[in-house]
Amino acid sequence: MRYLIISALMLFMLPSWGTAGYKQEFESEFMTKTWAGVQVEENVCISCHASDRMKPEYREITEAWQASWHAQNSISCENCHGGDSKDAALAMSRERGFVGSPQPKNVPEFCGKCHIAIVTNFLESGHGKALMSGHKAPNCVTCHGSHNIQKASISIISEQLCTKCHTYERAKVMKQALFLTENKIEELEKNLDALKREGIYPVTDERNLFSTQAEFRALFHTVDVSLVKDRTDEFTSRLDKIDNNIQTTDRELKFRKNFAAFLMLTFAGMGIVVFLLNQSKE
Amino acid sequence: MKRRRFLKVILAFLGSITVFSFVFSILKFLTALPTRSADVQKLVVRKSEIPSGEAMNIIFQNAPAVLVNRPDKGFIAFLRTCTHLGCLVEFSKSRQKLICPCHAGTYDLDGSVESGPPPKPLTTIPLKIEGDTIIIG
Amino acid sequence: MWKKFRHWLDVRIGLDAIIQTQVIDYRIPKNTNIFYTLGFLAVIAYIVQAFTGIVLLIYYVPHPDYAFSSVQETIMTKVPYGWLFREMHTVGSNLLILVAMLHMTTVFLMGNYKRPRELTWLGGVLMLILTVVFGFSGYLLPWNQLSYWATTVVTSMPTAFPYIGEPIARILRGGDHVTGITLSRFFALHVAILPPLFLTLVGIHLFLINRTGISATPFGKADEERRPLTEYKRKSYPEGYPYYPSFFQKQMYMMMAYFAIMFFIITFLPTLYFPDAVNVPADPLKTPLEIKPAWYLLAPYQLMKLIPNKFFGITLQLILLVVFLIWPFLDTQEEKNVMKRPILRGVFLFLLAAWIVLLYWGRS
Repeated sequence: MRYLIISALMLFMLPSWGTAGYKQEFESEFMTKTWAGVQVEENVCISCHASDRMKPEYREITEAWQASWHAQNSISCENCHGGDSKDAALAMSRERGFVGSPQPKNVPEFCGKCHIAIVTNFLESGHGKALMSGHKAPNCVTCHGSHNIQKASISIISEQLCTKCHTYERAKVMKQALFLTENKIEELEKNLDALKREGIYPVTDERNLFSTQAEFRALFHTVDVSLVKDRTDEFTSRLDKIDNNIQTTDRELKFRKNFAAFLMLTFAGMGIVVFLLNQSKE
Repeated sequence: MKRRRFLKVILAFLGSITVFSFVFSILKFLTALPTRSADVQKLVVRKSEIPSGEAMNIIFQNAPAVLVNRPDKGFIAFLRTCTHLGCLVEFSKSRQKLICPCHAGTYDLDGSVESGPPPKPLTTIPLKIEGDTIIIG
Repeated sequence: MWKKFRHWLDVRIGLDAIIQTQVIDYRIPKNTNIFYTLGFLAVIAYIVQAFTGIVLLIYYVPHPDYAFSSVQETIMTKVPYGWLFREMHTVGSNLLILVAMLHMTTVFLMGNYKRPRELTWLGGVLMLILTVVFGFSGYLLPWNQLSYWATTVVTSMPTAFPYIGEPIARILRGGDHVTGITLSRFFALHVAILPPLFLTLVGIHLFLINRTGISATPFGKADEERRPLTEYKRKSYPEGYPYYPSFFQKQMYMMMAYFAIMFFIITFLPTLYFPDAVNVPADPLKTPLEIKPAWYLLAPYQLMKLIPNKFFGITLQLILLVVFLIWPFLDTQEEKNVMKRPILRGVFLFLLAAWIVLLYWGRS
């Protein structure tokens, strides 16, 4: 009787294995349900602009945005362009704050809705002043792109980009002035990430690093090399403080590893001794 | 017999080291209290230095802070670290708010988030007012 | 001094008699093997969990806004040796389940669940279930990406049942999604509800073992139990070896090995139970790329993914579990020696291989 039950169970399991391929159904049934409330919220801007009826140039916009750093941080269309992302009828209505795409001169103000410090410095710079007085000049989009905006890095300053308007000499000098500090920031970021992997949570240091980096980058937008050089020391000392903290934490992690190894050895030692005691009696 | 005694002694030795390590760890674990630096450094500012509706940036225990003289509710002190990603917020006299220059996080003068990405209100620093002086911390 | 204290206790509780029967005269059959220590090891593992758990409880905050930072910032970073107890608790939970499973497997293979020990087996399976519930309720508490999403998946598994599935899932989660309410309930479960249940079962289990006596393995020549038993008789082994010091030493040895393994993992494989997702706070808006339950739930999880009909998937698992639970009542053959029972051996090996295959399959 029991063997009948067992064999029936085995027979039951075998054909089920054969019909595997339901992984997808399982995942689509379980995984994309609204577990977490607002997970896959409908954004009407994207629904229209990504649909087949849209012109290809417009469809490219949504693709470009999907790949951007903004998208990764849940910043979407309405955060910059205004409008209502939940109501298709009012999606592009002025009443809901829709501003459309800005003219080149208005781009700094457009991006400056959030990136206040950077725009303040930009407008004081040679680039900013030229833009505002109607000359040929760069705005935010020139260097950072409009929809496929990636995390800013020193590699944006390139011969290809800057020689569109003038020689690369000036840009090169600026890049050199920024170089060491930017490198240090990158190194510290990597180290902090490595620490996080080990379970340490360096909140204060992460915040200090971010704010130092943000201030440094905002400073760059003045494109004033002497200003950057003057204040580099100040930034370096802030970074050094963070570095010291990281080093202290590294030492702490080494101590932890040693402590755990020490405990392992004492237990292993005791195990061996008990084993020997065991043997010698019998 | 001698060998058994020897082994037992080693066992006792290792055992007591292990027990001691754990007891030591637990004791440190339980008695670790945050350093009472609150007693150590207090900052004193005179009321007259900050007119109503204005603010002063200060350093409190190595951290950047701001002391605001609110027109209606009196003095309040905050740590300037924005709760979003850590940039330092700045007091805007015209708008009577604290604004973060990195992503425009806006806090009202009670420290609560008015708009923008910050997830939590600003950290307040306790202060006492004695006559013409403000003691922060 | 010590003798005086013993005498004082003896006058009050008859200590000498207890020591005489439970330690000195307690004899273990000669043909027991090292696997007989696994039950004791499971109890030790459980005590370690309880102890480190209580230590963690001192700093842990069971609220979604503070849970992650109380673990990651406070316990792991700021409090001295907090990392030690957290890592012991995490590594220990996995080792505990492993030891419990090994214990069940060896009891099964040696046929030690047969009459008169059916109740002991029953208690054991219930304890295994409770241990898995302990594991999965504790998994959510650090409130990191791995916890949150693995819990989301596991609490959705009951929805496979047609009518009662949704209500069950809602009671588990305290709503439609995993939220702070879920955290509170899992915390209450993990810290206050499961421990007394588990302790009761352990108490009954140990009482039964003591009352019925140690079961001799069928592999040796001596002391085969005579079947069938129709009246109560506590099994004793006058020719066995004394519990103290011989068997006791074996148990101590296994305990040291357990701790050595635990600290080996903590020293040399620190990220084994701490993948990257553990260090990121839970974000209900971002699903990480791979969500999987813990390894001990991977085989059932994979099985559910394979079976096309969700309802059959979960029912099959329940049937298997019930069969496992009432196995002593299904397998009433007298033969205890698994080497003489090729069909059972075959079925067992097949199921074990299937479990391992499903486990590895579920990992990818």
